[in-house]
Amino acid sequence: MLEAEATADMLLMTQPFEAPLPAAPEIVEEPVAALLVKAVLAGQRERFSALYEMYSPMVHGILLARVPRGEVDDLVQDIFLHALRKLHTLRDAAAFGPWIAMIARNRAMDFYRSSKETVEVTEQMAVAKPPTGAAKEILALIRRLPEAYRETLVLRFVEGMTGPEIAARTGLTPASVRVNLHRGMKILRQKMGVVSVARP
Amino acid sequence: MKEDYLWDRSGEPDTELQRLEEILGTLRYQPRPLRIPADIQIGRRRSSFPPSAIAAAIALCAVLLGLWFHFNQRAAPPPLEARRNAQTAPKPIETAPQIAPSRGISQTSSLKGPRNNGKSARSSTRNLVAVRRTPFIRRDTSQPELTPQELAEKEQLLIALRLVSAKLNLAQRKTQGAPQFNTIRNQRKIG
Repeated sequence: MLEAEATADMLLMTQPFEAPLPAAPEIVEEPVAALLVKAVLAGQRERFSALYEMYSPMVHGILLARVPRGEVDDLVQDIFLHALRKLHTLRDAAAFGPWIAMIARNRAMDFYRSSKETVEVTEQMAVAKPPTGAAKEILALIRRLPEAYRETLVLRFVEGMTGPEIAARTGLTPASVRVNLHRGMKILRQKMGVVSVARP
Repeated sequence: MKEDYLWDRSGEPDTELQRLEEILGTLRYQPRPLRIPADIQIGRRRSSFPPSAIAAAIALCAVLLGLWFHFNQRAAPPPLEARRNAQTAPKPIETAPQIAPSRGISQTSSLKGPRNNGKSARSSTRNLVAVRRTPFIRRDTSQPELTPQELAEKEQLLIALRLVSAKLNLAQRKTQGAPQFNTIRNQRKIG
């Protein structure tokens, strides 16, 4: 079983890309981000809004995979303001995406650390926020997946990003994103009770 | 290809994945304008060598150099001077040629034997100076004077050290399995 999964992963990682359509965003977006970062550091603060528009869906997805939905929007704003203050510490301007993704992951961890100490969950609160829609139920299932899978799946299905876009924005390799997507989807199908059709 | 649809939405669409996209798409990020406070400060990258640090380093080097010169001059011996015809030098120093190399004799060294006395009448008033080239190191070889109590303590310490040494030797012999020599010598049996 494990050998079969490992072989499948190897095939996924070594599979040639037959339709390399999304290569363009990788080539285009990184220099744009680097130029924007340099412009902001040079004093053009308004250019940071472009970085915000470009990377806020990714930060939103990373947070949504970890923290309650009601907290995500405020956290997105906080993370970008923090990034603006600390932008001078970014060594490689082209690595803004992976850098702010790491900030978002750390902020999500800090959220749970601080909320454990300060927020007391009462019975009323638990009743007040039941998962009502199918979207919340599926999101709750995704949040029970391993971290690497849940982040990739949220970015793919919630934020509507493609695999190559996820790789370009987060700094992960396309092979890793591909494996995370397929393995995460397989586990999600099992949890949803949907029997996937066996492929020939 | 359903796998390609999961990867980049190309190929044959998967109805199950499309359904998931529709359901979860309702949770998608709703763009909000970023409100940047006016008083926010974008940190500047600090220069690795600020001018004040460079100035402090130069000042420190200057102080150290000055101290080194100061102590080096104090530690240097005064030049050895000797008048050739001085009465204070009753006999010539035989080791002088060893101290000063032969090539330096014409300039600096000069304590010759009495055979040169008649030849150098015209330069009898000239001071002959021998300069030590190597730095002079003063060594205090004088023994400090000890009080009787200190001497007694010193003796006790030496005895204790001898005892420890003897015990260590004995232990070493035991561990090596060597035959133990009789430490009590020249003693006859009693009885």
